[in-house]
Amino acid sequence: MKSLITIIKLDFLQRTRNYNFLITLCACLAIAYTFVPEPNANYSTIRISDYVGFYNSAWFGYVTAIMTSIFLSFIGFYLINSSIKNDLETKVGQMIAATPISNFSYLLSKVISNFLLLLTIVFIIFFMSIILFFLYNDGYTFQVFQFVRPYLIITIPTMFFIACLSVIFEILFQKYSVLQNVLFFFLFSFLAFSSPKNETDFSLDVFGSKIVMYQLEEKVREITNTDKNTNMSIGYVLGNTKKPEKFEFNGINFSLTFILSRFLWMLFGLILVGFSSLFFHRFTLEKKLKSLKKTKIIESKKTIHQINLSKLVTTKTNYSILPLIKTELLLLFRKGKKWLWFVNILGMILLGFLPLETAHQIVLPILWFLQVHRFSDIATKEKTFRIHLFTASSYKPIQRIFTSKIIASFILMLIISSPLIIKYFMNFNFLNALFIISGLTLLVFTAVLFGQISKGKKLFEVVFFLVTYANINGIPYFDYFGAINNDLGNFYTFLIIILLLLSLSFFIKKEIFTKLLN
Amino acid sequence: MKLDIQNVSKKYSRNKYGIKGFSITIEKGILGLLGPNGAGKSTLLKMIATVHKPTEGVICLNKKNILKDPNYIRKQLGFLPQDFGVYPNLNAFEFLEYMAAMKGVGGNNLKPKISQLLEGLNLIDVAKKPIGSYSGGMKQRVGIAQVLLNNPKIVIFDEPTVGLDPEERVRFRNLISDLANDCIVILSSHIVSDIDTIADKVAIMKNGTLITHGDQEDIIQNVKEKVFETTIEKYDLAAFKTQQIVVSTYRKNNQLVVRYIANSPVENSIKKTANLEDAYLYLTKTN
Repeated sequence: MKSLITIIKLDFLQRTRNYNFLITLCACLAIAYTFVPEPNANYSTIRISDYVGFYNSAWFGYVTAIMTSIFLSFIGFYLINSSIKNDLETKVGQMIAATPISNFSYLLSKVISNFLLLLTIVFIIFFMSIILFFLYNDGYTFQVFQFVRPYLIITIPTMFFIACLSVIFEILFQKYSVLQNVLFFFLFSFLAFSSPKNETDFSLDVFGSKIVMYQLEEKVREITNTDKNTNMSIGYVLGNTKKPEKFEFNGINFSLTFILSRFLWMLFGLILVGFSSLFFHRFTLEKKLKSLKKTKIIESKKTIHQINLSKLVTTKTNYSILPLIKTELLLLFRKGKKWLWFVNILGMILLGFLPLETAHQIVLPILWFLQVHRFSDIATKEKTFRIHLFTASSYKPIQRIFTSKIIASFILMLIISSPLIIKYFMNFNFLNALFIISGLTLLVFTAVLFGQISKGKKLFEVVFFLVTYANINGIPYFDYFGAINNDLGNFYTFLIIILLLLSLSFFIKKEIFTKLLN
Repeated sequence: MKLDIQNVSKKYSRNKYGIKGFSITIEKGILGLLGPNGAGKSTLLKMIATVHKPTEGVICLNKKNILKDPNYIRKQLGFLPQDFGVYPNLNAFEFLEYMAAMKGVGGNNLKPKISQLLEGLNLIDVAKKPIGSYSGGMKQRVGIAQVLLNNPKIVIFDEPTVGLDPEERVRFRNLISDLANDCIVILSSHIVSDIDTIADKVAIMKNGTLITHGDQEDIIQNVKEKVFETTIEKYDLAAFKTQQIVVSTYRKNNQLVVRYIANSPVENSIKKTANLEDAYLYLTKTN
């Protein structure tokens, strides 16, 4: 038991002691700030028809708890779903495999460390919500219990289940993070949009949020004296023109069955982890693959040669960046599983044959989303693969090598989007075609910039997932590629943003190089 | 061809130096850079390779300050860092093409040259396989191949023999000897046997400073007539070490044979011929 606690503690520490996690915390803090809108803000997060609650402790506590439960489940999964993969890549896994620790104990340590990571973020959001209460409150007294209760009953069990789910996905789908991400995306969508009808169904809601939403709706029905369905919205709804009416919400009394169900979700997660531990590869995955390949290589070694320097042919100087772009493209195309290219080609065919609106608004963002693993590490892959010292000592690294990486990613995205761009050009709809080109350019530069700032790829991946989710749901505010808002003014705005990102990316790259030099 | 390093320091914080007041002039031939782990060898090499910038001092190649014009040395540099990686999805041929593009090497002869290098390093049969499937030694050989792509005039090898088997080490030493006919080769290691067979000159570093440098013979002079061998009981070793500089020990008939450095020998000792390893240990332990 003591050794398990040590493993958990050290795993938690090594994952939190990096710059990437700090950036993630800051991003979560920024998101948490928007959970309860400032009194004069023109957006809402939870609104029942034209009603929102008075800004008292219960409203702050419950709203932030359910928003955290839903949003952190979505983002959190992507943040924590590489704990086993990291051990595999850093070769620590091989050392672990040689210790007497059981599969279940190891996986349990990963679950708890994942959970602690999410809990850290939850705590930050929790304190942020208390600060916001004192900033915005409508003159109500501070009741700590109204804050603690929803977090304890709703948010924390959800986080534990997500921590389990992330480990289960890693066991079942091994290193295939794209598959994990896509399947979780669909599972999340299914769980988030299922509508429970009665108390038993509320217990089946993993996020624990639907019971609160139901009670909020009931409250508004009571006020408005109607049996009709209320128009409840959860998530970021922008441009509310009508100022909402206010009602008093004093929290809810959770039934014993519901509280029990929250514990059962945690237990269910653990049982699933226990069951999947039977299929855990225990880090033999890489070894098997490598030993197969190596045997072949050793067999092919026949004669022994020695370099004769005087006989080496002479080469010419060529500072063109075309060979660099070619290799960067090769790296992008070869990344990930080969079968993903079948999905890409299918997507490209759909782009060409589906009605323009569907292709632009639904298929294109999904197709781009599927490429995230290819270009999310543009800014960091040199360091990841330890090529950076070669780069730094090469001729004009920023102008040639960094630029070639950006151009290659742009070309990849352009090829992926080409059927739709060509279709728009053929229809003389040049603005939409240009919007797509500016959209993909924006994505590439955002990937570069987020990678440079966070020194990792997760931040961009998580933000991109959220934006794609918003795009598919037709939220105009997140439309960066002209699927909904395709007026010329918007296009110019995006061009300015792209220019800003471009300048910032090169500026930061220069700074990174100067820092490396110093 | 002359590389001048004058009074170079690398300061990390107020009292923490990676390199302090380092000066040396390096000319054509092989310079073996010796020093214990953490002596500052890699930091120094990275500064010459223009990857790190010194806090103080000047580094000039052929009287040209490379800190002001790093591209001057980069064009003629072959650099093998201690801890380098590869893109696992590329094969050796593609990786070397990429490295050539980075160095600004091209033309019709590039592909034949890569083939020659891969053949010379016994990688031609696996040239089309992803590097991700290579062993450590094979990756190291790919690293050595990239050094030679641009006909370098200054070559830096930082712990190059890691992962190479004994046969490959011998071939590598031959290659370095060939290279040294035409350019400056700086070879860092903490394994003395990697250096003593090939280096014309040796520099020994400790705690970021240069303890000594010069011809091997001159350095060995420091311990001439001071190296002895004696046999002691196993349990006497700890006490023996507090009085003498122990170079090596091995077991013989349930006793220990100890090679040590001292101004005057203990009883029943035999005088031994001093070598570079003795000098290295003596200088790093007494300075």
